[in-house]
Amino acid sequence: MQSPKDSLKASPEASLLSWIQQNAPYGVVTLDPSFHVRSWNHWMETHSALKTENVLGQSLFTLFQELDKRSFERALGGESCVLSTTLHHHLLPLPSPMREPVGALMRQTARVAPLLSEGQVTGIVLVIEDVTQREIQSEALITEHRRQEMLSWTLGHLLRSGDPRKMMRQIFFKIAENLDFDTFIMYLRDMDTGVLSLYTAGGLSPEAEPDFADCPVLVNVAQARELVVFDSVQDRMEPEFAVLKRTRISAAIAIPLLVNDRALGLLCFGTWNRNHIGQEESELLIILSQYLAITVDREATKQQLQKAQSQLAQHAQLLEQKVDERTSRLQETISELEMLSYTLAHDLKAPVRNMLSYCQILLNDFGDALPPSAALILQRLARTPKRLEILIQRLLEFSKVSRQQVVLDRVEIEPVVDELLALRAPEVLQAVTMVKPLAVVRAHRDLLQQVLSNLVDNAAKFTKPQTAPKITISSELVTSASTSIRGDLLLFSAIEPHPPTPSASPADESPNARVRIWVSDEGIGISQELHHKIFGIFERGVNAEAYEGTGMGLAVVARAMQRMGGGYGLESQPEKGSRFWIELPAA
Amino acid sequence: MSAALTELINIGYARAALALSDLTGHRIALEVPEVGIHHIQEIASKLQEIIKGEVAGVNQVFSGPIKGNAILLLDREAALHLNRLLTDRPDMAGFDGAAREVITEVGNIVLNACLGAFGNLLKVQVAFTVPSLQIESAQKVLKTITIHDKGLEYALIIRTHFRIRVSEVSGYLMIILGVTSLETLIGELKKWEGRELG
Repeated sequence: MQSPKDSLKASPEASLLSWIQQNAPYGVVTLDPSFHVRSWNHWMETHSALKTENVLGQSLFTLFQELDKRSFERALGGESCVLSTTLHHHLLPLPSPMREPVGALMRQTARVAPLLSEGQVTGIVLVIEDVTQREIQSEALITEHRRQEMLSWTLGHLLRSGDPRKMMRQIFFKIAENLDFDTFIMYLRDMDTGVLSLYTAGGLSPEAEPDFADCPVLVNVAQARELVVFDSVQDRMEPEFAVLKRTRISAAIAIPLLVNDRALGLLCFGTWNRNHIGQEESELLIILSQYLAITVDREATKQQLQKAQSQLAQHAQLLEQKVDERTSRLQETISELEMLSYTLAHDLKAPVRNMLSYCQILLNDFGDALPPSAALILQRLARTPKRLEILIQRLLEFSKVSRQQVVLDRVEIEPVVDELLALRAPEVLQAVTMVKPLAVVRAHRDLLQQVLSNLVDNAAKFTKPQTAPKITISSELVTSASTSIRGDLLLFSAIEPHPPTPSASPADESPNARVRIWVSDEGIGISQELHHKIFGIFERGVNAEAYEGTGMGLAVVARAMQRMGGGYGLESQPEKGSRFWIELPAA
Repeated sequence: MSAALTELINIGYARAALALSDLTGHRIALEVPEVGIHHIQEIASKLQEIIKGEVAGVNQVFSGPIKGNAILLLDREAALHLNRLLTDRPDMAGFDGAAREVITEVGNIVLNACLGAFGNLLKVQVAFTVPSLQIESAQKVLKTITIHDKGLEYALIIRTHFRIRVSEVSGYLMIILGVTSLETLIGELKKWEGRELG
């Protein structure tokens, strides 16, 4: 047979072609129509380890017996074919230029084309390109891409899931599928007791799963807190491998779940088909385990927080119940006390009046017969039931204010003041000035009249010696921000037995508009330290001893204002007079 | 005539689908919903209508009693999708070397099958060059072809659907011919229509 060198040496073009073919960085082979080798270039010699002289004239299918004929037959029919490495791996089974793995074949991209002469197919040309290195790099990139994709998928699912622990099984199945594992086993440690127990497992038969509840080799890893790879498990003779061996596991990796040196559990993946777990797989699993450990820790903290919150809520509820019970009991007691004070006051009225009457009879009928000192004693004695009568009257007023049902209604202040002044002595009537117009408020009319009467009486009483009283009643609209003040609670009755019942209110009324009514005097005033307790029962000003009184007037004011849902207070300085105020919703 | 042409291409496509299914292990079907013949001067505007942006064009020159240029045009996304479906490899870097080869091979199989069907009809042997892949605008791909051969005047545009698993990828197979080749083809096609389709 004529060699290709001989056949082409005649023309310069043929020499050029021959040079290209021999020096090309590709495998170039030409065949005759019977698939016998016509030419075999240097690249082919190098990569196939077959010398040209040994292959020329041989059928390609004798040299490579497993070769698929179809592309060659198509070339004989005039077709040119491209054979990609992704779909074919290789055309000719040549050894890989890479050392590892041993026995691997070269990745090739090949072209099979007809050689034509005057429209007739006279042979076939094969061009083979070695793409092994490119493919290894590309596969490494794909592996890295899949790895990153799996990490983001896992992280995304853990972050998005409302119940990450439930999500874990799904994640383990995905990891197992992607990294070619057949089983997974996860243990979690009870945060309270520290006991490690099987949390979930996949790929195990129902009979095998209970064995893993106490698998010594895995428990040891969890205690040692160090990652361990178990290669060639089936060859291990130690008894602690019995559980793994029984489940056909050939290699496994056990990773402790650690967060800030706290051991939360253990994650184990096993395979049935391989005896070795690679470094890259281990690294990826370590990162995934860190994600999972953080999630487990976060969930455990969340559960503990929820538990604490629930305990706190239960405690709060218990406390609330206790407070309710005690409030109810207190309310009952107060109610009974109020009833008692009312009854006492009511029952004391007649004997006190009798006492007064008898004192008067004694003075009128027998005054002349008594020695002067005895008459003086009797006169002094007669003043006591008078004071007692006033005190009883005040106590009854206070009791009435506390027990009366309160319904708020629209009340004009001016007529109320007029009415109360009509019942006062002329000097009081003359002392009072109203700064008109006085506002209209939402109040209980009787209670409001009682409040204003007490304030006016107070102002009229506590005047400076030798000075006529001077009292001013005015009103002003205040903003909601300034109406939060409510006077000190009464010492005697801190609970609302009957909260105010609002009546139908006009639709155009601003719910926050409030009216402050001032009752100002130029009397003796009250020192600052008494302001906070002057509204208590039986409380009187330091310099008030010189004035008669029961210490009940302002307590009635405070109680009435509380019942109406209003506020009260004062501004006062000794010797400069006092300005008492009450506050009610505007009408 | 259009029905006969569609039928002939379907015969070629059946062979291509079989070869692709065999190669990939997935059941692949090729369908021809639309065939048209256009003058080469209309092609540029026609292509502008049907394919936007960059395309992957697998081009093979064929010669013999009929000669011309055959191209499979897939828009960029369709080509990458097809590669993904056939190989299960993610296309991270777009058209890397492996993806380019796969698209070239798929184009090669489809073009060979289609042109082979024409050869069988005409009872002549048609020879093909090795396919080449271009990734650029459809206009540029077309320009490369027409610059090379001024005698090419007509184009058969064959809309092509690849059905793989549950997905579908669409592209266009374009066969550009000279007037003589087209007349020969049409003449033979009419005879075949008379014989085969009645």
